[in-house]
Amino acid sequence: MRPLRPIERSTELARVYVWEWPVRVAHWVIVGAILVLSATGYVVAHPPGRWAPLGTVKAVHSYAAIALTLAFASRVAWMFIGNRWAQWDQLLPVRRERWRGLGPTLEWYLFVLRKPPGYVGHNPLAGAIYTLVFLIELLMITTGFAMYSVSAPYWSPMHAFGFLGPLLGGLQTARWLHHAGMWLLLGFMVHHVYSAVLMSQVEANATMESIFSGYKFVPEEDVVSPRVRRATPPSP
Amino acid sequence: MREGRQGLLAELERRGVTRREFIRFCGAMAAALGLPGGASAQIAGALRTAPKPTLVWLEFQDCAGNTESFLRASRPTVANLILDTISVDYHETIMAAPGTQAEEALARVVAESRGQYLAVVEGSIPLADGGVYCCIAGRTALDIAKRVCGGAAATIAVGTCATHGGIPGAAPNPTGAVGVGEAVPGLRNLINLTACPMNVENLTALIVYYLTFKQWPPLDAERRPLFAHGKLLHDACERRAHFNAGEFAEAWGDEGHCNGYCLFKMGCKGPVTFYNCPTIRWNEGTSWPVQCGHGCIGCAEPRFWDRMTPFYGHLPLTPGIGADIDRVGLAATGLVAAGFAVHGVTSYVKRAAERELPAEKSVPPPDRKGNGP
Amino acid sequence: MTHVVVDPITRIEGHLRIEAEVEGGRVRDAWSSAPMFRGIELVLQGRDPRDAWAFTQRICGVCTTVHAIASIRAVEAAIGAVPPPNARLLRNLVMATHCVQDHVIHFYHLHALDWVDLVSALSADPARAATLAQSISDWPLSSPKYFAGVRARLRALAESKQLGPFANAYWGHPAYRLPPEANLMAVAHYLEALDWQREFIRVHAILGGKNPHLQSFLVGGMATPVDPDRAASLNAGSIAAMRKLVASAREFVSKVYLPDLLAVAAAYLDWAGHGAGVGNYLVYGEYPEADGPNAPLYLPAGVIRGRDLSKVERPDPAKITEEVEHAWYAYPAGARALNPSEGVTRPVYSGPRPPYERLDTSAKYSWLKSPRYDGLPMEVGPLARVLVAYASRHEAVRKAVDGVLQRLKVGPEALFSTLGRTAARAVETLVLVDKMGEWVEALADAMARRDRRICDTARWDPASWPARASGAGFHEAPRGALGHWVRIEDRRIANYQCVVPTTWNAGPRDAAGHRGPYEEALVATPIADPARPLELLRTVHSFDPCLACGVHVVDARGRALGEALET
Repeated sequence: MRPLRPIERSTELARVYVWEWPVRVAHWVIVGAILVLSATGYVVAHPPGRWAPLGTVKAVHSYAAIALTLAFASRVAWMFIGNRWAQWDQLLPVRRERWRGLGPTLEWYLFVLRKPPGYVGHNPLAGAIYTLVFLIELLMITTGFAMYSVSAPYWSPMHAFGFLGPLLGGLQTARWLHHAGMWLLLGFMVHHVYSAVLMSQVEANATMESIFSGYKFVPEEDVVSPRVRRATPPSP
Repeated sequence: MREGRQGLLAELERRGVTRREFIRFCGAMAAALGLPGGASAQIAGALRTAPKPTLVWLEFQDCAGNTESFLRASRPTVANLILDTISVDYHETIMAAPGTQAEEALARVVAESRGQYLAVVEGSIPLADGGVYCCIAGRTALDIAKRVCGGAAATIAVGTCATHGGIPGAAPNPTGAVGVGEAVPGLRNLINLTACPMNVENLTALIVYYLTFKQWPPLDAERRPLFAHGKLLHDACERRAHFNAGEFAEAWGDEGHCNGYCLFKMGCKGPVTFYNCPTIRWNEGTSWPVQCGHGCIGCAEPRFWDRMTPFYGHLPLTPGIGADIDRVGLAATGLVAAGFAVHGVTSYVKRAAERELPAEKSVPPPDRKGNGP
Repeated sequence: MTHVVVDPITRIEGHLRIEAEVEGGRVRDAWSSAPMFRGIELVLQGRDPRDAWAFTQRICGVCTTVHAIASIRAVEAAIGAVPPPNARLLRNLVMATHCVQDHVIHFYHLHALDWVDLVSALSADPARAATLAQSISDWPLSSPKYFAGVRARLRALAESKQLGPFANAYWGHPAYRLPPEANLMAVAHYLEALDWQREFIRVHAILGGKNPHLQSFLVGGMATPVDPDRAASLNAGSIAAMRKLVASAREFVSKVYLPDLLAVAAAYLDWAGHGAGVGNYLVYGEYPEADGPNAPLYLPAGVIRGRDLSKVERPDPAKITEEVEHAWYAYPAGARALNPSEGVTRPVYSGPRPPYERLDTSAKYSWLKSPRYDGLPMEVGPLARVLVAYASRHEAVRKAVDGVLQRLKVGPEALFSTLGRTAARAVETLVLVDKMGEWVEALADAMARRDRRICDTARWDPASWPARASGAGFHEAPRGALGHWVRIEDRRIANYQCVVPTTWNAGPRDAAGHRGPYEEALVATPIADPARPLELLRTVHSFDPCLACGVHVVDARGRALGEALET
């Protein structure tokens, strides 16, 4: 294994506003919601005793689920109205250049390349993985809605989601999927935090800081990509 | 439903049922169906003039559990009379006539009452190998089902075998067993009364509904009547308060078990099962499985033999691995974390070691594409 | 010679087909065939052994406790779990309740109409029926008014021209011999028994949550908590309810069932000379009176050969084999008879393509295997149990049997018959309703001592089991000796086999050409009218067939079914 250390830059770095505030807010709400949902969900499945009354725990779980759903929905909406690094095509590798970028990014991660392919937002591989994460979150929302809808209060519009249960193969199957999805998300989180810290150091571009501040430092030539669909974001 | 039939009430009076008992029965049925108070008058009115329907009961790959349940019809006692006031013209387990004479009785109903009789089906229908796994009088179950259900005013599939293939249809489904709906697609008015076995109170309620309103009750996506399968068992369970309070039986016969605490941790499938078991109960309302101390096994749900097992576990086993998903997930997440920890520590150590060495320009500047040497 | 086919045999559980050759007014030869197959044991493979009871329970909804009991016993034997005393008492009550209720249903609703002519009852005189009923028992309902009411209900049914389940039967057949008044009394009790069984089975609801398919069985015990101080447990209220139900059962059995049986039997005493069958009897024994393996049993185990009541052998499970010479299964090359612990079941249908008229009885003709004990066909069931208990000088059974024999003025040899089989069922019912009260009281005593143990929880967690284990569970079901064999590997079911009462009784011929018990019992049965073979039904029904139980299978080698299906 090659020792990991900051790569050496041959060009000047530019400070770029990559993650707009809705993206950052959605990100952190989702993080918080997943942590609360996982903890409360685990307690509901493995009740520890009277000190954790499940009526209350389930209520907290439901509120966190609402937060997750709203954050998820707003982030999806922002894929169509946000800046170019928030766009949906940064996740789904449908465009040819993103598709072609998958290989070099993988090589970079496997330490075959000495310098990362220049991407300001998500690189194509990360984007594809985040697509999966979005799909898992969608699965969690779907299975969660299926289970919630059946015992929602009589006035609740959530009853409209009652059709999901049979589609998912019954609630017991939905339950299993809900657990499996949780572990996939937690597994992803472990990987995500570690690689964010690591790559932030190696690429020396403030990746880690960017999810708080919104700004990244990138080589100037990377800022203008071959296909600019909107105005270049403001650079300092 | 043949012509010239006397009204049901007249029939009942001849059998010694008083008007008062009859009205009480109608009230109980209205309650079972979840109808408002005034509906009992409507039920009573309709039953007074309802013709006596003909019913044939087919048994295929069955265990006769639904027949036994049928024999337990008991609440209120007059319900039984309603049932024997339905003319049961064919039922292998109870009919007096055997063999040829029995088959004649069935053939007569199919020929003479076409489109008017009710067909009840118990047991799954095997489709594998040309249907040789269930033959009656030399004919396959599928053949009989097509002929009899095809000409019925409605087909009522009773029990999880007839509705969804049940235990013969559980993996690996050796005989290709399926429910009636799948074996004979496009049946008119197919109603699935699931559970293993179905509770006869629901069959009574279903037939009363039909006689009263001349139509069948609203069904869910599995074609189950909503009055019986519209609600989660967990939400009507008498132990639900203990669940909410975090009070559980942890071992058979422990303090919580004796106290009637929630059986969730013993594998109860009430939270994922739609059934009115807790409200109508069994055997004259005496009890039901959770009341007696054992968790629900989800028998009213399609394919419960595969989906709800293991019965004493919270979740199905993880396909291909066979363990509980939470153990698998915890282990996998732990492995990922451990892997990164190892990676982080080794690279830190290497970097530290490198820093101690004299600086050496080992990495030539990469070209634009980022390719190294 | 006439070839008679009765398919479906009605008033039984499951699907049974009988083919017979009738010559000179008697059955010359007979074949018993089961035309339905489900493969439940194949479904069991790879599953949690603690779930197995619920699967096997669904082998039969009539025998709704028996396969659950045999299954939990087999798994307990494999993993070394020992149910505590309360679980033993609860199980004894569950089993006995089932046996009593099942025997009553069999007599009235499945068997009686072979002896009782419903149409003849229409012309009965209610006053004379009441006199007859009062002469045999002091059952309080036996008034002229009551019988007049029953007759009115029957007439209403007949006038409606919609006889429902009673339509098209063999009414008026010359073999019906009871006077109209006896027929009316029997039909009245048919209807009463329908109400009674519903009420009595509430014992199962109390102990098992519901019937059919009770849900309180556990590997290692029972799931019903026992605690006199809790509303959610079996408590004083449950004991009171069971006392009352058991008392009413004793009342019904001694004042209705047994007198009716004696009245019917007295009119058909010649049937003590028909339907003898194979004359070998196998009983595993039932109702443990202490805990742990090899506990003494209330109804003893035993094997009787050739109707010799002077010798009762101890049954040895190693002598049990199954053959497939005439069953639609294949064995590995060279194997003729296999012990169930190493049983193989590979279905290979070679019968006619449906729809068919006749089976080729010279080849394979049934989905039932042929179980043999020491190479011999064995009859199992109430008659076998009563004979073994009688021969073992079981006090209560001897008293009840002698009472019946004296009333009918016949000797013990009359028991080896169609009538004997039907009478043995009533004798056993009587003995059990008497015994049940003791178990209820024993449970009350345990409660008073605050003994709350209901399950061997030390063996509940599969982690406490050996990696490989195997065991057998035996049970006397209402219909006879039942055995389950289980092999557990890595805490999952690796193989499962059942040898079931109806397989013993209804199985086809073996390789040596020995007929199965049904087939043998049918030989020489008189048949007055081959188009309406009522007499044939009498003998078949006397065994109380349960075909769903009989046809079971496990493919020990895990082969796909039907792979070698011949066309």
